[in-house]
Amino acid sequence: MIRRWGYVGITAVLAVVVAIWAVPELGRDTVTFVTIGQTGPDGGPPLPSLSPDLLIYPGTAQILLLAVGVGLLVQIYSTAYLGHHPRYRSYALVIVLFLIAMIAVVGTTNLWVLLVGWEVMGLCSYLLIGHEWESPVARAGAAKAFLVTRIADLGLVMAIIVIGETYGTYDIVGAQVAQSEQPRHATLIGLLVLVAVVGKSAQFPLHTWLPDAMPGPTPITALIHAATMVAAGVYLAARLFQLYADSQVVLTAMAVVAAITMLMGALFAWVQTDLKRALAWSTVSQLALMLAAVAVGDPEAGTDHLLAHGVFKALLFLGCGCVMLAVGSSALSSMGGLRRRMPVTFWTMTAGFAALAGLVPTAGFFTKDSVLHAIERATDGDRGLAAGTAWVLLVVALVTTFVTAAYATRLWVLTFFGAGHGAGPHGTLGQDVREAPLAMAGPLVVLAVATFALSVGQPLHLGTGLLSTVIAVAGVAAVLVAARRGSTLAWAPRPLAAELWLDRPFSRWILALGTGASRVVVELDREVVDVYPRGGESLAATISRGLGLAQSRNVQRYATVLAVGVVMLVVIGVVVS
Amino acid sequence: MSLLYPLLLSSALFGIGLYGVLARRNAVLMLLGVELMLNAVNLNLVAFDAWFADRMHTGQVLTLFTIALAAAEIGLGLAIVLALFRAVRTVDVDEVGR
Repeated sequence: MIRRWGYVGITAVLAVVVAIWAVPELGRDTVTFVTIGQTGPDGGPPLPSLSPDLLIYPGTAQILLLAVGVGLLVQIYSTAYLGHHPRYRSYALVIVLFLIAMIAVVGTTNLWVLLVGWEVMGLCSYLLIGHEWESPVARAGAAKAFLVTRIADLGLVMAIIVIGETYGTYDIVGAQVAQSEQPRHATLIGLLVLVAVVGKSAQFPLHTWLPDAMPGPTPITALIHAATMVAAGVYLAARLFQLYADSQVVLTAMAVVAAITMLMGALFAWVQTDLKRALAWSTVSQLALMLAAVAVGDPEAGTDHLLAHGVFKALLFLGCGCVMLAVGSSALSSMGGLRRRMPVTFWTMTAGFAALAGLVPTAGFFTKDSVLHAIERATDGDRGLAAGTAWVLLVVALVTTFVTAAYATRLWVLTFFGAGHGAGPHGTLGQDVREAPLAMAGPLVVLAVATFALSVGQPLHLGTGLLSTVIAVAGVAAVLVAARRGSTLAWAPRPLAAELWLDRPFSRWILALGTGASRVVVELDREVVDVYPRGGESLAATISRGLGLAQSRNVQRYATVLAVGVVMLVVIGVVVS
Repeated sequence: MSLLYPLLLSSALFGIGLYGVLARRNAVLMLLGVELMLNAVNLNLVAFDAWFADRMHTGQVLTLFTIALAAAEIGLGLAIVLALFRAVRTVDVDEVGR
């Protein structure tokens, strides 16, 4: 027990250090540089060095605090959730490494340091998703997450190289300064950054790895979905926004990706029969909303929503972990009626679902409102994005708001209300279904409080706020009325339940392509390349068979040869002489 | 008496002995072949001794020497053949070598 709290201690020290460093920046308007190397931000480091310089501004500080805060809560939660696991030690240390990598990505001004942190995060997510590597599903999910995010890494590497070649520096601030003097190659940089973001933040069409990462331990899912990994993608899009803000192609592509993903993710979340997987699809949808904010030219709204989403999604996943521990499964069919048995989980997750649905007065409402307002402002068409695209984006976002409210309510009802079907042999809950231990319930309470506390001081936009509230309430009410009338809320058309078969390119075609290609290579190796060694082998065998005839192991035959030789020598000697 | 006749006889004996050693598979007959070759040499030595009319009779002395050697050799050889037969119940050299 003491040893387990040691790892929490390490994380806590990390969190305190980051807090000391980041909290004073929250209220400040100016930007602070922490120069550790010999070069400053204006000169830029010599190419392509790894400079340890750090840059903090209020947006960065928020995300840093979110990362270490959620990381610390996840670490505390894990002492109870996974503390008895034989590999707890490596698990806890990889979480710390994960957080350090996220701090590097968020805090650095150097693109190469950012790349290193980005890659380390990919590795850590692979290790943690595959933490229970005894199960083939976990191994497959981990490998898929790693391989799909590789595509994102490729985009990022190429984006970094293009930025460096265009502006002569690998420093983000330096590149921004150079860009403000003379913008160049905005479209190319923007499209490469978009590839990186689409892969890392699980946007269409590279979205399938995130739901398949669900076999990982639930606290890890919370960490990946809320504070690290997928957050890094959106953060990158916001951070480098200035470099591609002029390119309408990039912004349009980003808006299209965001529009497709947000509605698709929300619809897929509705049809899931598994609580955890439904929450994963909801993350995909919410990340798309943040990306939409970036696309309409308001990255601050995107990072604000990232912050609020991080808090309430961590809350929801950790609550999901409590429920899973109680009923022993993440399937919605094994839940229901948990309201009285698990009051803390119920009330905190209610706050989380309210924030997901975008209801007043949670932080989720205010930040979603900011995003909707930003999209609405873009519909006048003079902010880089064409007016038509912005209108489509706005409509899709509002429809998504409705679907989001509906599926959040559906999950809430199916988890906590009803008779608790399937949980026990007589249709009642088993006796062992009880509230989670303090180490797990505590973080839930902290996050639930944060869900409300973060809404303090957020801007309110009356028009979009009112509209989105009406839509969200309509979504909630529709589902509640349906549930009251006895509907099982299992409306799931086949294409949606199969997730539009979008996973097929990854799970079948690419696999088949790889298998086919390797088969051809094997054939080539066997039939063409192997001819040379096999020819040499058979040649040597023939020669040695011929030589072997002389070595008969028959002494008399040797003696005969000897005698014949002697006679021949004598005859030759006589004839010659 | 011409030297030719004993030399021819000794050559024939040597050839027969060599043939016996090389072609026979029976160990006893191989020893017999060796014996024939030795005696062909003895005949050769005696013939040349008489031809040169050597006062010291070196050829005849050497012949006696060879006969003693042959006796020792055949004793040893037969002992080996006997031991071989006791061990593997055969005196066929091909069978033994296998």
